[in-house]
Amino acid sequence: MPASASAHRPEDLISRLRSAAADGGANLKALRELKNQIIGNRTKKLSYIKLGAVPSVVSILASASADVKATDADADADALLLQSAAAIGSFACGFDAGVKAVIDAGAFPHLLGLISHPNDKVVDAGARSLKMIYQSKLAPKYDFLQDKNVTFLLSLLNSENENVTGLGASIITHSCETSIEQKALSDAGVLKRLICLIGGSLCQRDASLESLVTIIKGNPEVVSKFLGPESGRALTAVTELTKDRCPRTRLLACMCMIVIRNTCPCYLQDVGTKTKLVLILLELLDDPGQVGDEAAFALSSLIAEKEELQKLAFEENVVDKLCNHLRKGPLQAKRIQGILLALADLCSKLESCRSRLLSLQVLSMVTDALSHDSANVRAAACLCLKSVTRSVKDVIQNLSAGSFMKEVIVIPLVQLLHDTSTSVQVAALGAISNIVVDFTTHKSLFIQCGGVKQLAQLSKSMEPTLRVNAVWALRNLTFLTDNRCKGGIFLELTASALASLIGDPEPSVQEQALALVRNLVDGCIDSVEYVMSEDGHILHAIGRQLQTASKPEVLIQGMYALGNVASGNEFHKEAVMHQLLPQIGDTTQSIIIKHLQNNDSRLRTAAVWALVNLTFPSSPGAHGRVVKLRNAGITSQLKNMVNDPSLDVKLRVRAALGQIMTFGDGST
Amino acid sequence: ATSKKVITREEWEKKLTDVKIGKEDTNKLVMNFLVTEGYVDAAEKFRMESGTDPDIDIATITNRMAVKRAVQSGNVEDAIEKVNDLNPEILDTNPQLFFHLQQQRLIELIRNGKVEKALEFAQEELAPRGEENQSFLVELERTVALLAFEDVSNCPVGELLNISQRLKTASEVNAAILTSQSHEKDPKLPSLLKMLIWAQNQLDEKAAYPRIGDLSTAMLEDPAV
Repeated sequence: MPASASAHRPEDLISRLRSAAADGGANLKALRELKNQIIGNRTKKLSYIKLGAVPSVVSILASASADVKATDADADADALLLQSAAAIGSFACGFDAGVKAVIDAGAFPHLLGLISHPNDKVVDAGARSLKMIYQSKLAPKYDFLQDKNVTFLLSLLNSENENVTGLGASIITHSCETSIEQKALSDAGVLKRLICLIGGSLCQRDASLESLVTIIKGNPEVVSKFLGPESGRALTAVTELTKDRCPRTRLLACMCMIVIRNTCPCYLQDVGTKTKLVLILLELLDDPGQVGDEAAFALSSLIAEKEELQKLAFEENVVDKLCNHLRKGPLQAKRIQGILLALADLCSKLESCRSRLLSLQVLSMVTDALSHDSANVRAAACLCLKSVTRSVKDVIQNLSAGSFMKEVIVIPLVQLLHDTSTSVQVAALGAISNIVVDFTTHKSLFIQCGGVKQLAQLSKSMEPTLRVNAVWALRNLTFLTDNRCKGGIFLELTASALASLIGDPEPSVQEQALALVRNLVDGCIDSVEYVMSEDGHILHAIGRQLQTASKPEVLIQGMYALGNVASGNEFHKEAVMHQLLPQIGDTTQSIIIKHLQNNDSRLRTAAVWALVNLTFPSSPGAHGRVVKLRNAGITSQLKNMVNDPSLDVKLRVRAALGQIMTFGDGST
Repeated sequence: ATSKKVITREEWEKKLTDVKIGKEDTNKLVMNFLVTEGYVDAAEKFRMESGTDPDIDIATITNRMAVKRAVQSGNVEDAIEKVNDLNPEILDTNPQLFFHLQQQRLIELIRNGKVEKALEFAQEELAPRGEENQSFLVELERTVALLAFEDVSNCPVGELLNISQRLKTASEVNAAILTSQSHEKDPKLPSLLKMLIWAQNQLDEKAAYPRIGDLSTAMLEDPAV
C-alpha cells in the first residue's frame, strides 16, 4: 500500500466499500484500510465524512449484525463487525462532526447490540466505540430515571470486561446532570460499585474517579453517602490516589477532593490538605498533554471565590509558575484558557497577586490573548484583566503609561464589545467597568475610542447579561466625572433610553440604571437638569420604580438618585417632593414613609438623606416643604427613628430633625 | 578523623542478614521485568520454573513485541496496523505518539532515498498534524529539514536517522500499549536500583559503611577509615 493517499484514492476506497456488499472479503480489506487511514488523523476523518463514508460503514455493520443472528459464530462476520465498529469508533473519537455523522447514520443501536456478543473482541470494539460517542455533548441523553436503564447501566459496571465497565462509567460522566439523577444513581448502588472500581485496574480506576466526580458534584446528600460508613474508606482511597504514579489518576483524585470540598465546605478544611492539593495541581501543570490543560481548570475550581486558598496558592508561588507556563509558547488554546482563568481567580481578591502578576511583565501576553482565535481564550483574557484592574494602586503605576494603556488594553477591549460571542462581550464589559472607574485619563481614553457609543448600543441588547454589564460600565464611567464627560454620555444614551432602562424587566438592570442616574446627577446643579429633560421623563421613571420595585438594591439606588436631585435648586426639590408624597385625594401611604420603615438600614439611610436635602434650611422654599412633610406625618415618623439601631440612620435622622426644628416645632 | 559514624563490614553484613526478603517477592520483580520489557520466551520459562504468575497475559506480550520489533526494523506502517488491531484507541487518543510514528515513517522514506514519496508524505500526512497541534511544529520543521540536505547523515538534524530514534519511538509505542492494558509502563527493578543509589547517597553524608560501588557485581566495598 503506498505511503500517501492522492486526491482520488479516498473516493476509490469508498466505492470499494459500497460495491462489494456481497463479497465480504473485499469489504473487509477496504474497511481495514479505511480504519487505518483515519485513526489519529482528524483531517482524513473530515474528508471521509464529507465523502459520505460513514453511512456505508454503518450499513456494513448493520448487515453483519443481522447475519450474526442468522448463523453461528462466523469468523468472517466477526471480523466485519470488529472492523466496522472500530472504524465507527474512530470517526467518533474526540471529534463532534464524526459523532454527529455516526449517530445520524444510525450506528447507535447496532453498537449496543455488540455488547452482548459472544466474541470478546467484538464486545471490546462495540464498547470502545460507544464510549467515544458518549464523550461528546452530541451523544443521546441517557435517561437515568428509568429503572431498566439503571439496571442496564449496573450490568455494564458489573461486567468483567474492562471496556464495558469503562463504557458504563463514561455514560455516567457525560450524561448525569441533575441532582435528581445523581440521587437516583446513588440510591441504585452505582456509587458503591464505582467506589469498588477505584481499587481495580488503572483504566477502571481512572474511569470511575471521573464518574464519581460527576455523581458527587454539588450534591451534599450524595457526598455524605460517599463519606459515610457504608462506603468503606472511600475518602482514604481517593486521598491515596492523589499520590499515585500516574498523572491522570492524581488529577482525577484531586478533582474528586475539590468537588467534595466545594459541595460540603465543612470537609477537608485543614491547611495541610489544602496545601497538598495546590502543590499537586501545580506539579501536574508541567504535564505537556491533556492532564496539564485540565490541571489549570482544577486549580481554578479549587481557589475560585476563596480568599484563604488564593493566599495559600500565592505563598506557594503559583502566580510565578503560571506565568512561566504562559511564556512557553506556542500553547494550545485550552491551555492558555486554563492558565488565564486560574490567574483571573488568583488575582480576583488579593492585591499581592495582582502586583506580582504585573511585576512579572506578562501583561503583553494577556493582551495578545484578547485577539486569539478562540472565543474561550478571549473571554479568559478579559476576565484576567478584570481581576487585575480591580487594583487601584497598580492601575496608576503600571498601566497609566498613557499610550500603552490605550493601544494595548483599551482599544482591544472596546473592539471586543462587538465580538461574536456573548460571553466575550460580557467579560470585556467587566474589564472595562473596572478601568473606567478611576481617573480622568482612563475615562477620556475610553471615550476617545468610541467606547460610549458601544456601551449605549449594548445597553439595548436583547440579552439581559449584556444590558446589565453595559449599564454597569456606564455607571462606573459616570462616577465622579466632569460635566463634559457626563454630557457626552447623556447625549449618546438619551433621556428616553435611560428612562426605559430604569423600567427594564430585569431588576439587576434597573439597579444599575438607577445607580447610573445617581452618578449622573451627583456633583453640580447643572447635572441635575439631566433628569428634568423631556418633561422629567427620567424623574418619573425613578418615582415609578420607588413605588413598585421590591428588590432593596433597586430602591436604595433610586432613593439616592432622588436624594441627589433634591440637592439641586428649588424647582428640583419641589419635583422630588411631588414624587415622594401622595397627591391630593390619594389615600395611599407615601412611598417615603414606606421606605423610612423598611427593614433594610441602607434604604432607611438613603431615604433620610433625601429628607436632609429637602429640608436644607437656607433654601427659599424649605419652610413650605417642612410644613408639607409634617402634614404627611413624616416628622413624627422621623421622631420615632431617633434611636434607630443603625448609626448611619440615627445620625441623619437627627440632622434632618435638627433642620426641621429650625422652622419651629410645628405646634400651632 | 571524620564525625561520621563508622560501620564495619561485620556489623553491616549482620544488618543485611536481618532483613528478610521473600523469594516470592524477588521472583515477582524478575517476572515484572521480563514481562514489561517483553521477553516472552524467558517469561514463559521463568513461569514454568518458578511458578510465578505473570501479571499480564503472555499472548498480549507477543502482540506488543511484534509492534515494537516492527518499529525497530523501520516497518512503521506495519507497526501502525498492528497497534490499531490491538487497540484502535491508542493512536486516536495519543496525538504525540501518532505524530512520532508518522515522523518515523518520513525518516524511513528519506533513509531509503525515496525523496519524492517523502515530500508527498510530508505534505499529505505530516503537515496536517502540525496544523492540528501547534506544539508539533518545531519537530516537524526539524524532520522536514532532512529533505534539504544532500548528505543527510552529516547534516545538523542527522541524528534523526540514527537507530536510536527508532528505539525511542519503539519505546514510546511500547509504553502506550502497556498503559492501555492498565499495566505500568516501567519495570520496577530499575526504580529499585535508583532508590538504592539514592539511599546510599543519603547515608554517605552521615556514615562510612560498606557500600555497593558497582551495581553489576553488587560487591560490598569496605569503608575507608
